[in-house]
Amino acid sequence: MKDCKMAAYLSHHQKVLRLYKKSLRHLESWCIFRDKYRFYACLLRARFDENKAEKDMVKATMLLKAGEEEFWSNQHPQPYIFPDSPGGTSYERYECYKVPEWMLDHWHPSEKAMYPDYFSKREQWKKPKVRPHSLQIPGSFTNHQK
Amino acid sequence: MHPTSLMMTTSLMTIFLLLAYPVLTTLSPAPRAADWALTQVKAAVKLAFFVSLLPLFLFMNEGVEAIITSWNWMNTLTFDVNLSLKFDHYSIIFVPIALYVTWSILEFAAWYMHADPFMNRFFKYLLVFLIAMVVLVTANNMFQLFIGWEGVGIMSFLLIGWWYGRADANTAALQAVVYNRVGDIGLILAMAWMATNLNSWEMQQMFVTAKNFDLTLPLLGLIVAATGKSAQFGLHPWLPSAMEGPTPVSALLHSSTMVVAGIFLLIRMSPLIENNPAALTLCLCLGALTTLFTATCALTQNDIKKIVAFSTSSQLGLMMVTIGLNQPQLAFLHICTHAFFKAMLFLCSGSIIHSLNDEQDIRKMGGMHHLTPVTSSCLTIGSLALTGTPFLAGFFSKDPIIEALNTSHLNAWALTLTLLATSFTAVYSLRVVFFVSMGHPRFNTFSPINENNPMVVNPIKRLAVGSIIAGLLITSNVIPLKTPVMSMPPLLKLAALTVTILGLMVALELASLTNKQLKTTPTLAPHHFSNMLGFFPPIIHRFTPKLNLVLGQTIANQLIDQTWLEKAGPKALVSSNIPLITTTSNAQQGMIKTYLALFLLTLTFAALLVSY
Repeated sequence: MKDCKMAAYLSHHQKVLRLYKKSLRHLESWCIFRDKYRFYACLLRARFDENKAEKDMVKATMLLKAGEEEFWSNQHPQPYIFPDSPGGTSYERYECYKVPEWMLDHWHPSEKAMYPDYFSKREQWKKPKVRPHSLQIPGSFTNHQK
Repeated sequence: MHPTSLMMTTSLMTIFLLLAYPVLTTLSPAPRAADWALTQVKAAVKLAFFVSLLPLFLFMNEGVEAIITSWNWMNTLTFDVNLSLKFDHYSIIFVPIALYVTWSILEFAAWYMHADPFMNRFFKYLLVFLIAMVVLVTANNMFQLFIGWEGVGIMSFLLIGWWYGRADANTAALQAVVYNRVGDIGLILAMAWMATNLNSWEMQQMFVTAKNFDLTLPLLGLIVAATGKSAQFGLHPWLPSAMEGPTPVSALLHSSTMVVAGIFLLIRMSPLIENNPAALTLCLCLGALTTLFTATCALTQNDIKKIVAFSTSSQLGLMMVTIGLNQPQLAFLHICTHAFFKAMLFLCSGSIIHSLNDEQDIRKMGGMHHLTPVTSSCLTIGSLALTGTPFLAGFFSKDPIIEALNTSHLNAWALTLTLLATSFTAVYSLRVVFFVSMGHPRFNTFSPINENNPMVVNPIKRLAVGSIIAGLLITSNVIPLKTPVMSMPPLLKLAALTVTILGLMVALELASLTNKQLKTTPTLAPHHFSNMLGFFPPIIHRFTPKLNLVLGQTIANQLIDQTWLEKAGPKALVSSNIPLITTTSNAQQGMIKTYLALFLLTLTFAALLVSY
């Protein structure tokens, strides 16, 4: 994904798909029981499929706009968010225990001796990182070398 | 000294020493054992509980109470501050209950937090909190009470923000501190008034010398303090936000001990409140509003901990209503029974959350009765006790409160709100049990779910026993200070049970409707009002800061910059001089008629001057 860049705008296709997905997620928040959710999810899919062959972009954009407005008025105020997702109950919970990788360089030799295999491999991993700047592997260990 | 008093004093001092010893050992630089939390802290609290049973039995058998004044801290000529401990029936009954609940929570926390690298520090914080709470409830003077008050507030901040890498946790911790600080303004105001007018902070002296004073101002301060600490309406948003902390913190601080400190303060000050109708009415109305508002908010929440948090806030409102009815002992009874079943509800929630890999949304639970039968059974027992089911713990406290409300000649509006809140309690309790325990699982089975660990099951079972028998034990052994109304029409007697059953029936009907293919969304406006907590947090958290910032900007821009620059400074000089300059330069354009006009004008003035 070296050259993956985001476009400055979303295509109509992307907007429709995003509307469909978030509609399904909010429907899941409203319809707690799975059988009821499946029933209304099928109805929602049918509504989207009804206009999927629309070629007139003006009409398609109007339909999308109407869909977004309907979503806005029917959205759930507390949509279900997965616990580890942004906004979830355990998101970033363990950030305070995370230590940067370069701290391993500061372990005492007696502590490093407890994991000889890892630290021997670590020395090998770090060796290519001291290449000249133009030959360095992008995106790793560049800022923590003295 | 009488042997009974000596035994009581010794056992109470022993409790303090037992609790303080593990904290003092942490001052040593030597590393602590990996199981220090279990072997030292939990053992200390457990031992302290059994030691605290001795003064409790002495009190129940002989009615022995004690006031121990051990150290003159500081004094002026007329004002003394002593280290003074009061072991009356409130503190003698509350301390064993607090220790029992803490013992169960610490044992549960050893399982819940076993993967935390700083578990020892966590237990130390809980122990420091417990010591501060015991200092608060045993204080015989306002200064000592204030030390305990602030101590529990600070430990609440540290424990809510335990996972400080999470932004929401830090926000919640700050929110708790700020809201509590607003309440502390009231407490400090009351203390200042008492120091200047009553010349003492000792409770006995205050109660005697306050008889001839108008106590409205200090009592308002105390009510504001209770509003902040006990999450009454207006200063309540911090309590549901405090659920960011680990579940043992919610179980200990934010359900059974810390949040009742405000109500406990009012119970302690009840000799001052009972003769002030304004304060009593304020307590009644504030409590009624709180209990209904927070029960309404709990109806549509989906986070299990938030539901229990709002339930706590609703019960605290009920305690405030009881204070407003001038029944402090009933409020205290409700504090005691509430501690058991609310802590148990939190522990059950924590057990379920941990089993489901930190899933807290009840929409993704279900069928837990098959997987964790003990936990879900205790959840049901706790919910039944909360709703006031006859002969469980909550019944012995809630029912007398509703009866006292029905038979009083006070505010009918408060009565209506309280009864409505009682039925809402049944609704959200059934909602929790329905979505969590009943039906089919709505989660993925990523890890095996079981109750094999006794460290989970035993605390919950212990609290379940307390939730069943605590009400009966306390009412059977404690003589009421005020005679309850014994005879009333059957409708009033059965009012609490009736509204609870009505609430349960409505909840069952709504639960059956959720699975029918009717429509996807409920009627949105009432649902959004309840789900968004009455829009109170967004309005207050945005409006007040915006008002302050706009005021600051107005002062900085217009008052300071604009005034000094444009009205009084350089621009003022410019604006005042330019008309003069313009006039003068216009008169000097080289036009003969201007000069002629000026000449004639000057001549006219001179002639007039000469003639007069």
